[in-house]
Amino acid sequence: MRNTWLILKREYLERVRKRSFIVSTLLLPALMIGMLVLPNKLATMKSAGTRHIVVVCSNPDFARAVKSQLEGGGTETLRRGSGQKYRVEVASTPTDSLRSQLREKVVNGDIDGYLWLSDDVLSTRKVPYVARETSDFIEVASLQGALKTALLRQELVSHGVSAADADKYMQDVDLDAVRIKGGEEKKAGGPAQFITVIVLTMMLYITLLLYGVSVMRSVLEEKTSRVMEVVLSSATAKQLMAGKVLGVGAVGLTQIAIWIALGILFSSPALIGAKSAMAGIELPLGALPAFAVFFVLGYMLYSAMYAALGAMVNSEQEAQQWQFFVTMPIIIPVIMMTFVIRQPNSPVSMWMSLIPFFAPILMYMRIVVQTPPWWQIALSIGLLAATVWGVIALCSRIYRVGILMYGKRPTLPEILKWVKYA
Amino acid sequence: MTNTVELQNVRKTYDHFVAVDDLSFQIREGSVYGLLGPNGAGKTSTLRMMIGITAPDSGAIRLFGENFRRAHLGRIGYLPEERGLYKRMKTVEHLVFLAEPKGVNPQVAERKAKQWCERLELTAWMDKKIEELSKGMQQKVQFIAALLHDPDLMILDEPFAGLDPANAVGLKDVLLEMKKAGKTILFSTHRMDQVERLCDSICLIDHGRAVLQGELKQVKAKFGRNNVQLEYEGDADFLNEDGVVQSFNNYGNYVEVRLKPGADAQQLLRMAAANVRVNKFDVVEPSLEEIFIEAVGKREAVGKRDA
Repeated sequence: MRNTWLILKREYLERVRKRSFIVSTLLLPALMIGMLVLPNKLATMKSAGTRHIVVVCSNPDFARAVKSQLEGGGTETLRRGSGQKYRVEVASTPTDSLRSQLREKVVNGDIDGYLWLSDDVLSTRKVPYVARETSDFIEVASLQGALKTALLRQELVSHGVSAADADKYMQDVDLDAVRIKGGEEKKAGGPAQFITVIVLTMMLYITLLLYGVSVMRSVLEEKTSRVMEVVLSSATAKQLMAGKVLGVGAVGLTQIAIWIALGILFSSPALIGAKSAMAGIELPLGALPAFAVFFVLGYMLYSAMYAALGAMVNSEQEAQQWQFFVTMPIIIPVIMMTFVIRQPNSPVSMWMSLIPFFAPILMYMRIVVQTPPWWQIALSIGLLAATVWGVIALCSRIYRVGILMYGKRPTLPEILKWVKYA
Repeated sequence: MTNTVELQNVRKTYDHFVAVDDLSFQIREGSVYGLLGPNGAGKTSTLRMMIGITAPDSGAIRLFGENFRRAHLGRIGYLPEERGLYKRMKTVEHLVFLAEPKGVNPQVAERKAKQWCERLELTAWMDKKIEELSKGMQQKVQFIAALLHDPDLMILDEPFAGLDPANAVGLKDVLLEMKKAGKTILFSTHRMDQVERLCDSICLIDHGRAVLQGELKQVKAKFGRNNVQLEYEGDADFLNEDGVVQSFNNYGNYVEVRLKPGADAQQLLRMAAANVRVNKFDVVEPSLEEIFIEAVGKREAVGKRDA
């Protein structure tokens, strides 16, 4: 016990004092925020460049309708769709000379493209769009939408509906999503809720991976520097492994605690100042304790495997070749994340979240999205804890033999033999 | 006098490979013992069992007159063959870390670590990280780590490997001091010439088995003083006469003669005196290396006959 504590203390202090600890503690949240904000920023950046297109149509009324649709007078859906801004010029004489002229302009880059609306467009419903680039499918869809809306309006007007009424009919509908939970009506979180779930789960995933790999590196370093030999003359391999896993885990918990503290610190002014910003986010009370539980269990599971891996190999390169087998079970639930968010209570989500290797991430995610029945949570934690116990028993045996084996990488039958050694 | 270490019929196998085979030896308290043999003879495997890193398949290991217990480890200092330290730890901090599991109070450990650093001229490096130290300095730190807790039994695996001469002398002085204080010292090495003069008793092992063991004096006596170094002037033809000479190696004015088993060196001296002018006549002991080669050779010969 004393030895384990001494090893734990050394491991913890050495890591917490390192500059990289402070850097990663601050950098990771910044990175997460960046990951969420950047795609949005990029989309708005693109819309900053306005596309200049020409609409050619003999009917000036129709041409104007298309113009207003494209230039932001259009529907909400359209604007949300691509975020693309347009500057539209209208030409009302569809001649062949104009056509070749426009083609020339597209080639020269004077305009981005043109829409050619012939008189029979109402019946053929075919519109040529000539542009330098047509690969942005979202843009193509938004052009289609604009044309369709404009055509519909045109037809309504031609059937005797007044222009003002036609515009009114074309307005968007807002969906007011309400979730019923325990007999109470709750406003659904929408994108803010979605983002919070993703942030929390990614945080769990990154810390599991980060600290698991840390354990592996640290074991490997002790093995390659041979410092193991001296330490083993007073501590057992079991004490060494336990001290290391717990020490690195304690560093992880420290880091998470700092993040939570930072999160509360930065979000509280927002809570007081603008409650509306946070109003959409609704987290179950257990989100934070569950994070701790699933981090601790998940970390024990994966760090034991990483420790055994570190003991088996002789160099960082070798470790990288084999790391995949340990990392894969952490990556699978991340791939499934979107599916589970959308259908947290589907049978697939349920079964996947009960599998111990996926449980830390998937069950946690389900808890945050929409708390599943308590028996499922209990079962998943129970299975996970049992697996942790078994994996540690197995890995500590591999570790004990592996740390003293230098040279050739062991084969699978050899590793199985190690497990059987007394 | 009691034995600090006793091995009784110890056997250790890895899979089908027999690393240590029916090995028994005793180390008297306060003596210097040499566990000698070529690389791969089973020396490190034996040491690892003595400090509980591995357990023997059969046989018994007794330390300080009791069956092996992990509590004994606090009284043992171990200098492994493969040396290494945590690179990012500071010298004194590291020494305290390694001494604490041996049961040394951290304050005491720090005080002692500083004393040792002063003695081995590491004072300026006490607060430096290990990675900033030179190889030689790291070796010194490793010795200090092995003896900081004032162990009763010091186990050194290939202690002089990779040491510069100054450090080797320093280490030897410290060890002799420990011997004077009544501590027991166990050397394990394949460089027999390096420890020959230090050991009271030895055990030669090969392929996991003891080939030869006992007090160094007796071992040497058993192999006899049958080598003669002769410095002479004149014609040394008499060496070719059939008689006491088994073989010789003539350098002109100096010849090394190996006598036949049981032959008397005095007879050679008389022959020499009759034929040449003798400047020096020295009957010398065989070196441990020669003894080892002879012992292993004999055993192999016996083995072949058995087969």
